[in-house]
Amino acid sequence: MAKAEYTVLGTDMPRKGGVERVVGKGVYGIDLNLPDALSGGVLRSEHAHAKIVGIDTSEAKAIPGVRAVVTAADAPDVRYGRSYIDRYILARDKVRYMGDPVAAVAADSQALVKEALGKIKVTYEPLPVVVDPEETMKESAPTIHEDMPLPKNLPEGVQVKNVCGYAAVNIGDAEAAMSEADVVVDEVYETKMIHPQYLEPRIAAARPEEDGRLTVWANAQAPFPVRTEVASLTGLPLNSVRVISTGIGGGFGGKGSGVTSSAGLEPICALLALTAKQPVMIVMDKAEETISTTIRSGCKIWIKTGAKKDGTLVARQGKVVYDAGGYSGFGNQAGGRCTQMVGGWYRLPNIHMDGFTVYTNKQVCGPVRGPGGPQATFAMESHMDSLAAELGMDPIEFRLKNVPEKGDGIVGVPKLRDSSLAETLNTAKEKIGWGKVKLEKNQGIGFATGAWIEGAGPGGGAVVKMNEDGSATVHIGKVDYGTAAPFGIPMIVAEVLGISTDDVTVLNVDTDASPWDAGTVGSRSMLVSGNAVKLAAEDARDQILRMAAGQLEASPEDLEIVERQIQVKGAPSRSVSLASVCNAGHNEIGDVIGRGYFDSKASQADERERGSSQPFTTHAALVEVDADTGNVKVLKYVAVHDVGFVVHPKAVEGQIEGAAAMSLGQALCEQVVHDGDGRTLNPTFVDYLMPTINMLPRIEAVTVSGYPGAGPYGTKGAGEIGSVPPMACIANAIYNATGVRVRRLPLSPENVLRALREAGK
Amino acid sequence: MSLEITLTVNGKTHTAALEPSTALVDFLRDTLGYKGVKLCCNTGECGACTIIMDGKPVNSCVVLGLDAAGADLVTVEGIADGDELHPVQQAFIDTGAVQCGYCTPGFIVSLKALLDRTKSPTAEDVEEAISGNICRCTGYTKIFDAVELAAKRMS
Repeated sequence: MAKAEYTVLGTDMPRKGGVERVVGKGVYGIDLNLPDALSGGVLRSEHAHAKIVGIDTSEAKAIPGVRAVVTAADAPDVRYGRSYIDRYILARDKVRYMGDPVAAVAADSQALVKEALGKIKVTYEPLPVVVDPEETMKESAPTIHEDMPLPKNLPEGVQVKNVCGYAAVNIGDAEAAMSEADVVVDEVYETKMIHPQYLEPRIAAARPEEDGRLTVWANAQAPFPVRTEVASLTGLPLNSVRVISTGIGGGFGGKGSGVTSSAGLEPICALLALTAKQPVMIVMDKAEETISTTIRSGCKIWIKTGAKKDGTLVARQGKVVYDAGGYSGFGNQAGGRCTQMVGGWYRLPNIHMDGFTVYTNKQVCGPVRGPGGPQATFAMESHMDSLAAELGMDPIEFRLKNVPEKGDGIVGVPKLRDSSLAETLNTAKEKIGWGKVKLEKNQGIGFATGAWIEGAGPGGGAVVKMNEDGSATVHIGKVDYGTAAPFGIPMIVAEVLGISTDDVTVLNVDTDASPWDAGTVGSRSMLVSGNAVKLAAEDARDQILRMAAGQLEASPEDLEIVERQIQVKGAPSRSVSLASVCNAGHNEIGDVIGRGYFDSKASQADERERGSSQPFTTHAALVEVDADTGNVKVLKYVAVHDVGFVVHPKAVEGQIEGAAAMSLGQALCEQVVHDGDGRTLNPTFVDYLMPTINMLPRIEAVTVSGYPGAGPYGTKGAGEIGSVPPMACIANAIYNATGVRVRRLPLSPENVLRALREAGK
Repeated sequence: MSLEITLTVNGKTHTAALEPSTALVDFLRDTLGYKGVKLCCNTGECGACTIIMDGKPVNSCVVLGLDAAGADLVTVEGIADGDELHPVQQAFIDTGAVQCGYCTPGFIVSLKALLDRTKSPTAEDVEEAISGNICRCTGYTKIFDAVELAAKRMS
């Protein structure tokens, strides 16, 4: 909330770069104009699981105008991955999903690329395909990765295969406590794969430079990891690779952490450029993206919870099987987070969860918006409603009975400094009109809470360089795709330096110039770059005030900067312009360059000491179910969030509304559908249904205040948590409307109608 | 075999050659340089490439370039009056409806076409006009706000 002591923070400053974008001059990756660039393209596997017996590229190479044809044989024998290093940029020996990259071509035109890709002869020996995550764990299933061991932390005696990640939650003694419960509810939930479907296609471009270096352009969220991976996977020294971030048209984690999210597009493009000794640009086709780039995984969740008659939760047991796809990708991280979140964020003294992340012959799990969280919450918060019904309690009262309070621990957080969960519940109840609004036949109201634990993670830097007119140029490692970089970041710099946001330029990421950063991921832009840029601006301000102190015959502590004037506090007539000091600085200290870094370790130590303030949320929906068709119409939707201090209200609301809409899409219609052979049946936008404006109500985003987080001025991450509750929220509203619980996504007309019919309605 | 066509884009006459199979979106972007027309689904589903063709909004990815011979087109680049933004453009900025901004040109063109037809559109008119435009960032709420603000300022 806007505080009087701030000049810039809390206002709705127009988006940086907004004017360019509304007049069609916004430059995205796809608009990159690289003179003399060849077109590139990737040959993808037509089998979901097969041995590669041989690849014959001779015919493709013989086509005039084809400048490079590469296969795994042309790349260093180096694999990539996160917890499991299990993937080559171009498949070697085996393909593991339909869409796995096998070869790539660079040629004078896109038509020649297509022709050449068609002339590459790959001889496959098909292997049995497994697409079901439960089937893949059985002894009878085909082995997807022969040389990958089972996770080291797997409990003894567990007989599984194709498992590439294991996570457990062990708090108290769940088995013993369960036997003391008055009421036990035991359920199974299932979610399907969705694709993030950012609108701008992925691109990659690479140009070999005269000095032996390689410049790479990427519309990726994490340019520094892209640099690391391009270097290691092409064999170039790190300092020979320069990655420049283009404008980015959406990502949602789908353009996340380097090659883990992009099916290796940048290194493949680099390999083509190095082979052809010419610039190359690859633009992916949308259907190609749907089948080959990273996704939000489907999963199956078993959840059993015991409670006392008065509603006090006593024990939870459960299991998650999380589908990583053909490679581990982000599966272990997302599956682990999912497993934790099924454990929940209520007071619950006894929890046992097992989480298995498994290989199947499908496209690969990525860090898509709140990885693991929306799926976990569909199960956990639907289940909380089932428990409330079984106990005969009001769903709000039941949750309030179990909310954590100051000093409590929840899964993943040893000690909470405060807890806003109850306030979000009460506010959502009020805003949706629970108990007040008159419900028509087949109408219902549902609630679901959510959390997105901000925890350990990499730091990141910022540099604020002052210009001689008093304006500031800012380097951070976060990209601009409409989150903090064009909103909150320039506001913080302007606030600290007493200048206008018009005086602040935030540069795009160039790994040759920008401070290192892990990427625009994990709701961490404000936490990492916000904190870093605040320190950098303060550092610059301190340098300026030290220089001005001499001129004004005052100590630096007695000075302040107001509207580009440095003045003595309480005596504003004793002043000197910011510009003149920055200019004079050239002869004293050179440029005024402020440096800041988000110290992740110090932040974590502080949270251990004082406890941590986490973001919580409650969503509420009013829906109408058509009993004849199963169609669910969302009539009203409220998203109440604690995101700490709000720097830019409209930007924060926009994050919440957008995140909620994406999961409402998954709730109502979205899914990537595979047949038994591992073929994607709905790769284009014709078949892959997403919400349009006439499907959604106006989402009402509400923020509650008073719970400062670890970000600058007390902000908390807002980019992902909005995606956490919607699926459960809609399922609970359907239950309230019809008395029928649908435990399988999507809550599409056919699934809802089937559930209604099975319940005899 | 390439053919030459003449057409008008944002009031300017162009004569250029194209292959018969070239989609209008590619012709506009790659040959004529109107890169504000955004490329996405290539199936006429997302609306990112929306332009106004002889007064009607169309998805330029599912129109052949040849079909634009003699046509009068308006792209997002032709909507502002010099430095003066169209009320819809200004409203998108003022309401926070531009996040990544990739879908924005398509929305602005669809809404411009609507407001050319009717000065006071109903909520249903608005929904109908932009139901073919997909936005993955905003959840549409701020876009609703932008349309309302623009309509208010124009009335």
